[in-house]
Amino acid sequence: MLKKVLVANRGEIALRIIRECKDNNIETVSVYSTEDKESLHVLMANKSVCIGPPSPNESYLNKEALIQVALATGCDSIHPGFGFLSESADFSQMCEDNNIIFIGPKADVIDKMGNKSEARRTMIEAGVPVVKGSEGTVNCVLDAKNIAKDIGLPILIKASAGGGGRGMRIVREEEDIEKLFFEAKSEAEAAFGDGSLYIEKLIENPKHIEVQVLADNHGNIIHLGERNCSIQRKNQKLLEEAPAFCLSNSTKDNLYEAAVMAARSANYRGAGTIEFVVDEKENFYFIEMNTRIQVEHPVTEMITGVNIVKEQLRIASNLPISVKQEEVKMEGYAIECRICAENPSENFRPSPGTIEFLHLPCGNDVRVETGVYNGCNISPYYDSMIAKIIVHDSTRIKAVRKMRRALEEMVVRGIDTNIALQHVILYNKEFLRGHYNTSFMDSQLEDMLKLLNTAKDIRELEM
Amino acid sequence: MEKFLKDRMNLIKTIKSIVRSDKTIDDIKKDHELLECKNCQGKYTYKKLKDNYFVCPGCGDHKYIGAYERIEITCDEGSFKEMHKGIKGFDPLQFPEYKKKIKDARKNAKLNEAVVIGTCKIKGKKAFICVMDNRFMMASMGMAVGEKIAKGIEFARKKNLPLIIFSTSGGARMQEGIVSLMQMAKTSAALSKFSESGNLYISVLTHPTTGGVTASFASLGDIQIGERGSLIGFTGPRVISQTIGEELPEGFQSAEFLYEKGFLDMVLERKNIRGVLGRLLELHLNKGKIEISSVKSEAKELADDEMEAYKRVELARASDRPTSKDYIDSLIDDFVELSGDRLFGEDYSIVGGVGKFKGVSVTVIGHRKGKSLDENLKCRFGMPNPEGYRKARRLMLQAEKFNRPIITFVDTPGAYPGKEAEERGQGSAIAECLLTLSGLTVPVVNIFIGEGGSGGALAIGFGDSMIMMENSIFSILSPEGFASILWKDAKRWKEACEDMKLTAYSMKSLGVCDYVIEEAAGEGLSSKVVKDLEKTVAYELSLLMKQKKSELVNNRYKRLKNIGKDLT
Repeated sequence: MLKKVLVANRGEIALRIIRECKDNNIETVSVYSTEDKESLHVLMANKSVCIGPPSPNESYLNKEALIQVALATGCDSIHPGFGFLSESADFSQMCEDNNIIFIGPKADVIDKMGNKSEARRTMIEAGVPVVKGSEGTVNCVLDAKNIAKDIGLPILIKASAGGGGRGMRIVREEEDIEKLFFEAKSEAEAAFGDGSLYIEKLIENPKHIEVQVLADNHGNIIHLGERNCSIQRKNQKLLEEAPAFCLSNSTKDNLYEAAVMAARSANYRGAGTIEFVVDEKENFYFIEMNTRIQVEHPVTEMITGVNIVKEQLRIASNLPISVKQEEVKMEGYAIECRICAENPSENFRPSPGTIEFLHLPCGNDVRVETGVYNGCNISPYYDSMIAKIIVHDSTRIKAVRKMRRALEEMVVRGIDTNIALQHVILYNKEFLRGHYNTSFMDSQLEDMLKLLNTAKDIRELEM
Repeated sequence: MEKFLKDRMNLIKTIKSIVRSDKTIDDIKKDHELLECKNCQGKYTYKKLKDNYFVCPGCGDHKYIGAYERIEITCDEGSFKEMHKGIKGFDPLQFPEYKKKIKDARKNAKLNEAVVIGTCKIKGKKAFICVMDNRFMMASMGMAVGEKIAKGIEFARKKNLPLIIFSTSGGARMQEGIVSLMQMAKTSAALSKFSESGNLYISVLTHPTTGGVTASFASLGDIQIGERGSLIGFTGPRVISQTIGEELPEGFQSAEFLYEKGFLDMVLERKNIRGVLGRLLELHLNKGKIEISSVKSEAKELADDEMEAYKRVELARASDRPTSKDYIDSLIDDFVELSGDRLFGEDYSIVGGVGKFKGVSVTVIGHRKGKSLDENLKCRFGMPNPEGYRKARRLMLQAEKFNRPIITFVDTPGAYPGKEAEERGQGSAIAECLLTLSGLTVPVVNIFIGEGGSGGALAIGFGDSMIMMENSIFSILSPEGFASILWKDAKRWKEACEDMKLTAYSMKSLGVCDYVIEEAAGEGLSSKVVKDLEKTVAYELSLLMKQKKSELVNNRYKRLKNIGKDLT
């Protein structure tokens, strides 16, 4: 087993890792920016090292500094968490070069899965269904037009090196192809220094379903079921649930099989997530693989009982996964709500500041992952997520009720949060039906905010 | 901190209540819109106003309400079925700008015309309802309004439904000229046929009801209800003031003013209208179909009078003697008082209305004496003016129309001997009562409960069955007057009492009275007395209600002819 892990992250995920290490008798070293010197992850690790000023580029993304700290403190491994350097092939390579175990896949795997057109090609070769589109990059407009004719409009032009929607264009009319192709190309060049593009058929309003996989160095690859992460706003997930209430068992089985195939063909090691889009007829297509732990991993842990972070530590220690596929049983329903320091009524404006009072929900099968405490400061430099509330119960509606109750219990004073919005989502009829897709927030947000603001007005009137 | 947590809990509660409500968020938003009362500057939400029947919770000011709001607060939920929604008028005079005005009104009021009609239920009872809406051109009566109301009246007649019209109007619609004016006659003609059919029409006058609507259907209800604070009149106050060159007194042409003048049966707070309508509909349901079940009278023959007559007179006049109100409370269920003579005024010294006696709707008419000096001054110690008798007569005719028995409670020293009473025809008013009583085709039971003073008592004091309480009296005039006329000495009134033969027992032996009900001296209306009286009335009514109408009238005349026959 690993002896000492450097946790190259902050916030709740740093704490999730530190707690897991402590539970497994592994020492931890935290790193922090000057902004985070009073953070819980600094206080809870065996040792903490300041690695730079508030700006992430100069601290949490400073690869050299992290390697140096790891070497200086005698760490045998680095856990990158999610975000920051978790999907940096470079960093994985640097770790390897310095004889430090990177808790995640090797650089070439990250690289392959990080490049969208290459990941796509790998999946096609492995027989995993992908959205129809170009094989490899598309170099000229003429090719683009031919592909469009072949797969049918609407299509999505995407930057190979892309992410976050940059270098991406939706084409609905044939005559727009040329214009949008060049727009995407120049945007991709500017953003990533790489203008290569590929084309996919656009699946409108799909469900976002992902499958958790684990792969060790002994040839074991298992899946831990799926999560429905279709409640998103601007590609940011708000609420996730497992299992996906809306899918038939046969579709689920096919998804699992495809996910395991995908991980195998990528020669994957560690914990990873295969993301699919699923259309109304339950056709599913691979979109990408996340080569790291994910924010929403607890919902899978709650229904399977498999501790994913612990498995990461085991796999990194060259141990086999502690469960076999046939031993994985999915029981009940789990829901996770991400609690963010932001104001949904003001276009989700971040709300940094001091938490004057905090009360976290408790009770049977209510789990809270957080790094905040009474009196702590929420920094404007980093992600606004301050906590994750996860509940588990035997049926979906019971889980929904439990989550409502948990959110009602949670009190955060001093900053704005999205707790009330999450609470309203849990009463939304579309949500309750369980067949929602990624258009949910676009179509429901206005009504939900109206409800929320009306409730606030009424409360004020009654006071 | 406590406040912070409380706020949070309130927010959660509010969210839950919104989520669980069937209403849309927009409706909920509207419910919580903050409004200010123009009258008292109080602030409240739309919902609070609505829950309070659109009456300011602070000052009680009754706000304008539209037809559909009125229907919502009046009818049983979901019971209203609108009819003739599409009826629209045209522009008969090609009046300048009228088409545009109508178009704007339709858009702004979201109505096709100024009245909404249809069937509904109120407290479970079916009715036909017409509601005017003054957001539409001041609810003036154009051809479409007149047509819809006439159609509604016709429908109610054909289906034998009670009719309720909520009026509000600025009067005739000028832009439609004589076509509008004729709607007054048309609606009245429709009501004439409706009235002949024996169905009930309740007119509710709301703020403001003026002009041609007041001068037609709105004033023709069997029962006239005014909403509190409403302006009701024919000519608008400004025109009157300009014409006569005088300032009008405060409250002139208010519903309360009209009530005092005898044109309304009652003035109600908006919140009470639905309840009263429900009770009135209930009271008019059984049109003479049900018979009183009790048939056996246990009223026993009483022994001869053993008390000196003057003592009985003293008891009959005692200030703590039960009044009509006590008898009504004991014998009549769900009594609704009706007021006004529709001519001059409301006389408090006569109480009248409808209620249920043993489950059967009856008309009740009685003399009213007060319990306090103030009340006694208001009812002149139970001595009616002509208005009182004219109200009594009106209610007798109404009982005839709706085919329900009449129970009267007689208790008066006599008709009021006043100057104005003579000016307004006291004698004539009493005579009209006698004539009307004689011809009624419904049973009339008279109960003498105290003083039966002369013609003023007789005006509501004869019929098909006369019951006298043991200590009640009936006389040609007061013993004092008797002594003073015959012996020129009013002090000899006790003597007169004996000679006049005015006690209940005397009446019984004279064949004027049918029953004497034993009283428990000094105990007011004991339950035994009430029970005896109730049994006797029930027995008499059950027999009388079996008689044919012509039989009833003939027998009543025979009874009168028989009085004194034995003596000759």
